[in-house]
Amino acid sequence: MLEKGKISPRQSSLLLIMALIATSILLVPAITVQQLKQDAWLAVLMGTLWGLVTLYIVCWLGSKHPGQNIYEYTQTLLGKWPGKIVGLIYAWTFLRIVAIVIREFGDFMTTSFMPNTPLSVFSISLIFLAAWAVLAGLEVLARMNEFIIILVISSLFFILSLSLNNWDLTRIQPMFTNSLLSIIKVSFIPEVWAADSITLAVIIPFLTRPRQAFAAGTIATLFAQGLLATGIIAVLAIFGPFLLQITRFPILTFVRAINVGQILSRFEVLVMVVWVAGVFIKASYYLYCACLGLAQITGLKEIRPVVLPLGTVAIIWSFSMFENIGELETAVSNPRLAPLLQYLGIPLFLLIVTWLKEKFDKNKPRRRRNEKAN
Amino acid sequence: MTSAFSFLKKLNLLGKKSVPAKNKPAAEKKPENDDSPILSERLALIKKRLGESNDVVIREFNSSNDNVKLALLFIDGLVDKKMVNDNILQPILSNTIVNQYTEKLTPENALELLQKHITSMSELSLAPNLTQALKRVLSGDTAVIIDNEQQIIICGTRMWEKRTVAEPETEAAVRGPREGFTETMRINTSLLRRRIKHENLRFETMKAGRRTATDINLVYINDIVNKDVLEELRRRIAAIDTDAILESGYIEEFIEDAPFSFFPQIEHTERVDKAAAAILEGRILVMTDNTPFMLIIPTSFFQFIQASEDYYERPFVALFLRVLRLFVLNVALILPATYVAVISFHQEMLPTSLLLNIAAAREGIPFPAVAEALLMEGTFEVLREAGVRLPKTVGQAVSIVGGLVIGDAAIRAGLVSPGMVIIVSATAISTFAIPAFNASIALRILRFPLIILGSVMGLYGVIFGLIIILIHLAGLQSFGVPYLAPLVHGTIRDMFKSIIRPPLWMSRRRPDMLNLQQQQRQATNVGKRQVPPDKRELSHEKMEENNAGKR
Repeated sequence: MLEKGKISPRQSSLLLIMALIATSILLVPAITVQQLKQDAWLAVLMGTLWGLVTLYIVCWLGSKHPGQNIYEYTQTLLGKWPGKIVGLIYAWTFLRIVAIVIREFGDFMTTSFMPNTPLSVFSISLIFLAAWAVLAGLEVLARMNEFIIILVISSLFFILSLSLNNWDLTRIQPMFTNSLLSIIKVSFIPEVWAADSITLAVIIPFLTRPRQAFAAGTIATLFAQGLLATGIIAVLAIFGPFLLQITRFPILTFVRAINVGQILSRFEVLVMVVWVAGVFIKASYYLYCACLGLAQITGLKEIRPVVLPLGTVAIIWSFSMFENIGELETAVSNPRLAPLLQYLGIPLFLLIVTWLKEKFDKNKPRRRRNEKAN
Repeated sequence: MTSAFSFLKKLNLLGKKSVPAKNKPAAEKKPENDDSPILSERLALIKKRLGESNDVVIREFNSSNDNVKLALLFIDGLVDKKMVNDNILQPILSNTIVNQYTEKLTPENALELLQKHITSMSELSLAPNLTQALKRVLSGDTAVIIDNEQQIIICGTRMWEKRTVAEPETEAAVRGPREGFTETMRINTSLLRRRIKHENLRFETMKAGRRTATDINLVYINDIVNKDVLEELRRRIAAIDTDAILESGYIEEFIEDAPFSFFPQIEHTERVDKAAAAILEGRILVMTDNTPFMLIIPTSFFQFIQASEDYYERPFVALFLRVLRLFVLNVALILPATYVAVISFHQEMLPTSLLLNIAAAREGIPFPAVAEALLMEGTFEVLREAGVRLPKTVGQAVSIVGGLVIGDAAIRAGLVSPGMVIIVSATAISTFAIPAFNASIALRILRFPLIILGSVMGLYGVIFGLIIILIHLAGLQSFGVPYLAPLVHGTIRDMFKSIIRPPLWMSRRRPDMLNLQQQQRQATNVGKRQVPPDKRELSHEKMEENNAGKR
């Protein structure tokens, strides 16, 4: 085993919450409102549904292959080399998410807080931290997350509660102005779609009670998407759909607008703290999944040798992937085929293969039993 | 938990070097060979081995009937001389006592007779050879050496100048017992035994230090303690093979999980009530001879923001104080760094009028904020250190000079801005408000890198530094218990308890994170104030007993 530590279902749940809300709380409001106006939050709820489907498939696969994660059971299901290739696709996906996340983070920092600082400072320092955390292991990552999530969630609730006096819920009316099809289309944007539950496929064997993975994942998905929907409703209720279309980070604008009694104001830095902490956890978590995957596929005995190379790749990838923040936004705000395959297609395919194999295997003993009976 | 232990054990196999070589010092010298039962030879050997030290007393004498040749050996200053005279020397020398037995005192029966009848000692034992006897003598016992007898009688006569039980200075409390531990192990064990009068309280003796041969006691309650932790602790203490253990700090360094951490992983205390509470909670107390500081194992970080007083005051007071300490902890760590970052990078965070004031005050200051901060923090650390080491009378002068330098002169000379002085003094006061000195000093050291990070990368730098600290803390363990437990990796109940001190009648369970044999601490109906029927008699008995004592 590459990972010696075990984490509790609660810790995995919290990790998943963090992975779900860390980046989406800042990006999703803008993306969804641009396309759906005041119905944006409906897309998030719809995304939750797809997320739960992914989660169910992943957990079902996990329960059928106890003690194995996606990198291992693809090999037992599809054979050594095809399995390794599928595994590599996932490692690649996770690494790509790391690259996107740190790019989003760097762009956010340079556009909102530190315009004179080069992007590379943020990418490199964040990957440095993430690599350190990955080297420390999953257990440490989960513990850190437990600590950070208290900070993040309480800050978010604090921010939301301070804005309550400015809410005008008429701004999210009328509902369902968009066709259901367009809502569904938006809900398949990876950021909106609660697809981070795919990472559970990697860490299910490391849970102390793998059977509770689905419950933990469901709670995490519902909580995180609920918070996200609330966040979108909050920004909509304050700014209205039309003002929001021209803001890049609605939550930030929203926090800048908070001013309670001349004292409780200027909380942007709180957003930055939340963002840095959240992105750090998300990047480390995905980097961990990618590193573990590569180590398992190549048959390494420990994760150490691949962390720094993959981290470096992620840094360079994050620079080369997009020209500027505009390109980044267009890239993440459209549903594409590849994520659909990665988050739904391949798991579904694996599920069918498992099911067929099981049926095939089960028939044999049954026949034998029948033969004996005869 | 199990995985945590296996990890821990593996770590130790790697870290600790091979066998606990307890017997090495004895093996090196091989003194048993030239140890002969003949008294004159033995005494010569003793003189050779102990040298001409002037505190070694050898008293040769014959029994009153002149049949037996004997010698007394003790270290002057470590024994109760009156006891030696009255209970050992006098009975053997007096005719009446020696002759009152039907058996005559002869060299053959001397050992038995002396042991059973003649000497009137409550503590008496036999040492098989001279080496063993010398060890005991050097601890303050008296050896009675009999001619032509291999075994040596050891009488417990330990008595030396002791500091009396006094109020612990480092952990003063408004409410609570004023007794603190002293340097004498026996007094300390009695202090604990007086608080926990239960048959399962155990004092387990170990020794460490080749030359100091320091006594170490592991104190725990046998049916509560986590046996895995206890076993691991025994193993780690047995593995200590060094020449000197002078303070419990030595042991701490030898047995802690991560020796290169800034953070203390083992809590120490001078307060008896705190130690007793820790033992009752299922922790293990490591007592070291010659120091009043006891180690508490395992330790998690949140113990450092708790004080024993929390449990004597009302629960709300404790809650308030704990929240305050937690806040203060953060202030001590990040306030100067945040100030530097805000002043240098994020001026938009400040309200405009405040920003204008600060800018006006900083007008004419030659240094950037970071230099100012490092200068003032450095000055403060120097002053604090000087104040600690100086005698009290001179200490006042330091505080006056320090107050003037920090408070006034530096500002007037245009070296620092008044804002920075406020920040530094707020930080300084905060560090003093943390109950544990060793935890606050860790934060004080970490403040400096954070200031530098804050001046380089602004608040992002501060968060960067904090995340590094968090990665480190999350990976730490103290004897299998995660350092950040119960906030991390703990049950919800523990989590609340770390900040909220529940009313005593509600705290039914010991901390879950310790994995104890018995988690239940008290009956479930304590809050209802009903005396359970089976206990009623007992409580009456107790009342009578107490009254009897008072009369």
